[in-house]
Amino acid sequence: MRTHHADDELMTQVARLVNELDPMPPGLVERAQFAVAIDDIDDIEFEVARWADTRTLAGVRGGLPGTITFFVGDLTVMVNVTRTGERQRIDGWLVPAGAHGVEVRVAEHGSTTTTADEGGRFVLTEVPRGTTQLLVRMNAEQSRTVVTPTVDL
Amino acid sequence: MTELQTASVAKPWEGLEGRDRNAACMIAAQAGDRSAFDVLVAELSPLVWHVARSNGLDRTSAEDVVQTVWLALLRHLDRLTEPRALAGWLITTTRREARRVQTRGAGQIELSSEAAEQLPTTEPSPEHEVLRDERDRQLWSAFHQLTQRCQELLRLTVLAGRAEYRAVAEALHMPHGSIGPTRGRCLNSLRALYHGDSGS
Repeated sequence: MRTHHADDELMTQVARLVNELDPMPPGLVERAQFAVAIDDIDDIEFEVARWADTRTLAGVRGGLPGTITFFVGDLTVMVNVTRTGERQRIDGWLVPAGAHGVEVRVAEHGSTTTTADEGGRFVLTEVPRGTTQLLVRMNAEQSRTVVTPTVDL
Repeated sequence: MTELQTASVAKPWEGLEGRDRNAACMIAAQAGDRSAFDVLVAELSPLVWHVARSNGLDRTSAEDVVQTVWLALLRHLDRLTEPRALAGWLITTTRREARRVQTRGAGQIELSSEAAEQLPTTEPSPEHEVLRDERDRQLWSAFHQLTQRCQELLRLTVLAGRAEYRAVAEALHMPHGSIGPTRGRCLNSLRALYHGDSGS
């Protein structure tokens, strides 16, 4: 017959394995705190974009440049990252195209902004490396802001 | 106004624990205190993490979901009218987000919620390499053959057993140290899988 003691013992082993083998990654709390620390976020309606799965395949995680994609609703943003010395260049393409505002926030490095051209393309150069978040401010008529979770570039 | 109020006065959640502490942080965050929101992120991210991991996400996807859920809370901050229900809201939102990520990964195949709950996570665990001995390996492997709902319940039981996660225990109606009937069944399943494994 099962006893409470046996359950407690098994639970203790499960706890040890869960805590040792699958703890929350170090730095995740700080990355999440950075992701929500957006200026004036209280005053805007924003949508949260999701990174597409291809990111892992592209090897971006771990600091290798590559192409990553994020999307929300009908908006898709493709981003290509190229290392330029200590910094990097970000080439992006927004669909549907339009002169949307793009902001790249890098933890401990402030942010860089630009505006996409009518074809939806944008380029940011000399972007510092680190925990990075993108914000897209859709052009005036729609007044939508899209934010991504961070990615380590 | 908020800045004036919070500059010199002790934070309203100081000295509080569990759900009272979360609720005090929620109310302060709703009034515009960003440090209150940061406290919630620091203290409840492990809850979001373990729910995401129980619901079939690999570690990389779970990291994204932790951030997505906090951004979603920020977005809905003023619409959460019951601050004491935060832990429950986080659990529900994380499950939904995990399902969304998996649906996308599985080529847009929609799973009914029942099917998803019954689905064991089949992901091979890279952590196997660091397992100390064969018994640990078998138990960890058996754990991953449990239903998602059982894995979640057991992971949350692990969290709820720690003093700083009293809010989790409260949200799940898990008094400290108690193993309810559902958890008993999950532990029985785990025991059966574990012994089945070691016998083969």
